[in-house]
Amino acid sequence: MTDVALRCAGAEVTYTIRSHRPLIRDLLRGHRPAAQKIHALRGVTFDVHVGESVGVVGPNGSGKTTMLQATTGLLPVSAGEIRVRSVPAFLGVQAVLRNQLTGRRNIEIGLLAQGLDWAAVEDLLPSVVEFTGLGDAIDMRMETYSSGMRARLHFAVATATSPEILLIDEALAVGDRAFREKSAQRLDEHRANAGTVLLVSHNLAEIRRSCERVIWLQAGLVMADGPTDEVLVAYEAS
Amino acid sequence: MSTTAPADQPADGLFPVGRPTPLGEYLRELWARRDYIVRVPLADLRSQNAHTLLGGIWLVLNPLLQVGVYFLVFGVIMPIDRGVDSYLVFLTLGVFAFHYSQRVISDGARSVVSSMGLIRTLRFPRATLPLSNSVGQAVAFGPVFAVLLVVVLAHGNTPTVRWLFLPVLFGLQTLFSLGASLLAARFNHLYRDLENLLPFVFRLLFYVSGVLYSVDHYVDDALLRGLFALNPMYVYVTAWRWVMVGGPATAVEGLAAVAWALVTLVVGFAMFRAGENTYGRTG
Repeated sequence: MTDVALRCAGAEVTYTIRSHRPLIRDLLRGHRPAAQKIHALRGVTFDVHVGESVGVVGPNGSGKTTMLQATTGLLPVSAGEIRVRSVPAFLGVQAVLRNQLTGRRNIEIGLLAQGLDWAAVEDLLPSVVEFTGLGDAIDMRMETYSSGMRARLHFAVATATSPEILLIDEALAVGDRAFREKSAQRLDEHRANAGTVLLVSHNLAEIRRSCERVIWLQAGLVMADGPTDEVLVAYEAS
Repeated sequence: MSTTAPADQPADGLFPVGRPTPLGEYLRELWARRDYIVRVPLADLRSQNAHTLLGGIWLVLNPLLQVGVYFLVFGVIMPIDRGVDSYLVFLTLGVFAFHYSQRVISDGARSVVSSMGLIRTLRFPRATLPLSNSVGQAVAFGPVFAVLLVVVLAHGNTPTVRWLFLPVLFGLQTLFSLGASLLAARFNHLYRDLENLLPFVFRLLFYVSGVLYSVDHYVDDALLRGLFALNPMYVYVTAWRWVMVGGPATAVEGLAAVAWALVTLVVGFAMFRAGENTYGRTG
């Protein structure tokens, strides 16, 4: 067996959600905003090995996104432990891109945001521009882009630098068919380079295509964990 | 993407996530982000005025129009220029210096809450956000300073030895403003009320910092003058006038300019880092 890239051992995540932050009004009257304790993960245990590609399925609210966030350390575990070989990173740079800037400049910003220095950005820029397939539009402001063009840019920037452990939260089904194929190819390359992928998706076809193993989460617990076909058959039957 | 493995790595090569980064490592991570910290605010400056006709000219025009308004009201309509040689120069120095810190701090206060999406998807030292805002504002001050020079020189002032203090003064004011913006970013993330309060804090500071009038002329008492040194904005505004046109200042203001910069930066950075793992969380 290859090395472990990520190990969840009885990981639990709880947090409290409130109807609103306590306002001064509440504090003065001694009211407490309606609060609900959410036990989002109730003891999740699994290992992911280097080079493995694992799909995560489950109904809304089953803890899929929470689990991914917990593996990055953004959400603290209240019990158990999550240990990693390197800190996993989300596939996602939408947040840093600026509508008023050109596609090219947005690629620069997106790459810098992912921790590259300028020399590395200059090296990578031509290949990312090429991968987007946006042609001359790359020098137009992003606000002029169609949503498909935008999605291409996002994906190209986000996957240009591959973290060792890549987290994908419903981001693959972007662009037209040709671009989707290019995207799938890029993920294959990532895995071929011993990259590890955790993919959250409701698109089971996508999971079948990209993952050999699936973890099915239900109400914060692992319902099943095994080969894609087996787990998905059980999941679809549920 | 480089994620540095800690030195005390156990045999299985795994380490727990989400633990606090030691100070040295934090500073190294910030340094590794220097290209982001410098280049992204520059891109932002470009994008800010994307839908205007004048574009980047607004960076200069905004403080200039402010000076124009104050000069019209307090220089022409109801003059309060007592004890001041050239009111326009006096006013320009005061407004530009004040405006710089105000921009750094009030934009810095929003730097974390306006980047929640980024914080939730990418791992990076969060101080990157107020820091890059500060760098952007410092760069934007360049053209403003050029206008300042023109105003000062056009009024017959000549460069003196004191001008050598300019980089020091600008550096100190920048450190102070950065420290204050780190502090503001932390507390604005905690309670967004701060964002609503800040404009009034600055309005008040504006009137008690001698931007419009010569404090020296109205306040004789040395003790009282010393109290003014407790107001960092007064300190930096006064220092600018002392450096550029030989306005009155004492060693107290000089020391205060240094003290405010160092103390605010250290306290601001420490407070900001204490909240490092809370940014991006809800509830």
